[in-house]
Amino acid sequence: MSSVPKETAAKRPRHREATLYQPLAGAGARDGAAASAAEDGDSAALLAHLRERALATYETSELPVWRRSGFWTTSYAPLDLGALEVRHHEPATADAAAPLPDAAARTLPERPRAGRIVQLDGSVVSIELDVSLAARGVRLCSLEDAAAEGSEAFARWYSKRLTADRHKLEAANAAFWSGGAFLHVPAGVVVEDPFEIVHVVGAPGSAQHARVLIVGGPTSEFRVHEYTLAESFDGQALHTEGFELYLEDGARCRLAHYQDLGSAEIYDSTTRVVAVGRDAFCHWLPALLGGHLVRQHLELAVMEAGGDMAFRGIFFAENEELLDMFAVDLHEAGPSGGDVHWRGAAAGSSRASMEGLIKINPGAQQTHTYLQIHTVMLSPRARIDAIPSVLVSADDVSASHGGSVGELDEDVIFYMQSRGLDRTAAVRVLVEGFFEPVLGQLADEPLEAVVRARIAEKLAAAREDIEAYAAGR
Amino acid sequence: MAELEIRDLHVRIEELEILKGVDLSIDRGEIHALMGPNGSGKSTLANTLLGHPNYEITQGAIIFAGQDITEAEPHERAKAGLFLAFQYPVSIPGVSIANFLRMAINAKREEPIGVKEFRGLLERAVELLDVDRSFTSRPLNDGFSGGEKKRAEILQMAMLAPDIAILDETDSGLDIDALRTVAEGVAKLHASQGLGALIITHYQRILHYIKPQFVHIMLDGRIVLRGGEELVERLEREGYDQIRQEHSAVV
Ligand SMILES: Nc1ncnc2c1ncn2[C@@H]1O[C@H](COP(=O)(O)OP(=O)(O)OP(=O)(O)O)[C@@H](O)[C@H]1O
Ligand SMILES: [Mg+2]
Repeated sequence: MSSVPKETAAKRPRHREATLYQPLAGAGARDGAAASAAEDGDSAALLAHLRERALATYETSELPVWRRSGFWTTSYAPLDLGALEVRHHEPATADAAAPLPDAAARTLPERPRAGRIVQLDGSVVSIELDVSLAARGVRLCSLEDAAAEGSEAFARWYSKRLTADRHKLEAANAAFWSGGAFLHVPAGVVVEDPFEIVHVVGAPGSAQHARVLIVGGPTSEFRVHEYTLAESFDGQALHTEGFELYLEDGARCRLAHYQDLGSAEIYDSTTRVVAVGRDAFCHWLPALLGGHLVRQHLELAVMEAGGDMAFRGIFFAENEELLDMFAVDLHEAGPSGGDVHWRGAAAGSSRASMEGLIKINPGAQQTHTYLQIHTVMLSPRARIDAIPSVLVSADDVSASHGGSVGELDEDVIFYMQSRGLDRTAAVRVLVEGFFEPVLGQLADEPLEAVVRARIAEKLAAAREDIEAYAAGR
Repeated sequence: MAELEIRDLHVRIEELEILKGVDLSIDRGEIHALMGPNGSGKSTLANTLLGHPNYEITQGAIIFAGQDITEAEPHERAKAGLFLAFQYPVSIPGVSIANFLRMAINAKREEPIGVKEFRGLLERAVELLDVDRSFTSRPLNDGFSGGEKKRAEILQMAMLAPDIAILDETDSGLDIDALRTVAEGVAKLHASQGLGALIITHYQRILHYIKPQFVHIMLDGRIVLRGGEELVERLEREGYDQIRQEHSAVV
């Protein structure tokens, strides 16, 4: 899918703008001891070793503060870590269909699904899996169980790329994660309906360290929808997440995240890695729709020749929220394709920083990739910082970026008003239309409807701001 | 009283007075033509009639269907039955013509329009404007050619069935065939629904298909000359200079 014409390609290795963040090192957290445990297929030893090392980092590091250019500081310092604890709940039982936590019941669409795993705070509270899929070798269980069972996929892939030593919260996740989700779709298995992975932060004082490992065997095809949610409450809470998805040769996956932690004072520190093998393909679409302070490192790596990916994202910050995203499109081998397209809005006094990086490693020849970030400000107090960067270390490639930063276009609003839509409706249409080029690519009606409804809700909440913005012009 | 009455309208954009006292009455079923050189204020009048926020009315009034709408919101004017076909229609990415029209129609109604009724309306409009049915699935004006945009404007007009429509240079950028289709579309709505129209144009051609009963010439923010169809031909012959000279002589 080399849709970028060669003549227009940026051929020179070029550092467009300084990037503050770095892609993860390819080796992840695995050192010599971890590697040999993995080689022996000893997943318990591998996990114990990595937890121990992460704990050492945790104990010797401070809560992270990232100082950025201009108005920007992402600081976890206000988080009172000592007051938080990992809360446990009754574990899932095979027979009883546990009721969904409220936030999940409110959000998740009624729909056919291949399976679902739900984690509330520190515990997996329900697991269901289509029996016919289980019969074909699909495994959906807690990550703890996968490790305890000595799953071969666990030993091969767990923390293969995720690191544990970049900052305290990443280390906390690696050291303390509990429950966790493990999905393995074996070679050749094709699943139409999505697997749902649900995380809910249930109460103030909760520290949820969520961990997900998904492995798509050769030529498997499947969909995953991950929901990160919270009940509404007063007080601090924490969600950390380490997410890994590996696609083996020729596997295809459509992955979507719906993240909405609501209006509670929840700190989110998440790292997600998707790694695409030979001739494999991933369509990845995170929708980041709320959280007091959210920092996400999202990395899509094409590991082997023939890998291809489409990386889409939307975000919408409101009120006092602070959203700090780093999205990496990493090419380690060529030929490979990439297409990154993010769209975001900010209302209220929210701030959002979207740093997008294309990195093409030496040897990843014949890689064609394009990065675009479009943003719209819905309030005079909102700020969005969109920073695209391109780091190219191969010469026969094309990599470029584009995008736009905008306010609401009053002429478009007037046009719609002149057709009978009131201002609020016109703004809604405009912003929904703004997200549509990305949202429509979810190619999943029920999930699209959930995202659309949430965007509409946020727009309704931002109504006064939007009016004031127009009046002040 | 006429359906639309414009009385002594003065309009400013960014401290600059553009319209300097415009009087104009348009009734249902009447076809008016408004002509004038570039920059004389025709689009300013059109945009002001629909309530564009950048245009400040400093004096005068707009009465529509017996109501003073001088201060009304644009959508209220639309709901009351006023329509503007824009000289430069903007695009609305991500929203198809059909979806947009459904919203616009529903904005005027208590109950949302039924699927069948909407489809019927859309089919008739598509036929009237001689466009492909798939045209209405495209995002509104996004990547449209000049001619397609103008057709989309009149298609919307046909669907929204206004009482009075202002067509701001709808004929510009249309080839001969498209012009005929669009003009005949307007003529049909005029004949069947008693549409009243203010046709802003630089050219005679469109007026061959829709005969104006009234022709107004605007110069420098004022209507300086009024007459019937014969004015159009005179203008074609003499240009604006002659009229300007006479007018300044009068002033
Ligand atoms: N948004 C604006 N800001 C500043 N000046 C404007 C704006 N819109 C119009 N004008 C000015 O107002 C005057 C009248 O413009 P208007 O568009 O009404 O002319 P027009 O008669 O429609 O011309 P044309 O035949 O070229 O369409 C022009 O001098 C124009 O430059
Ligand atoms: Mg004009």
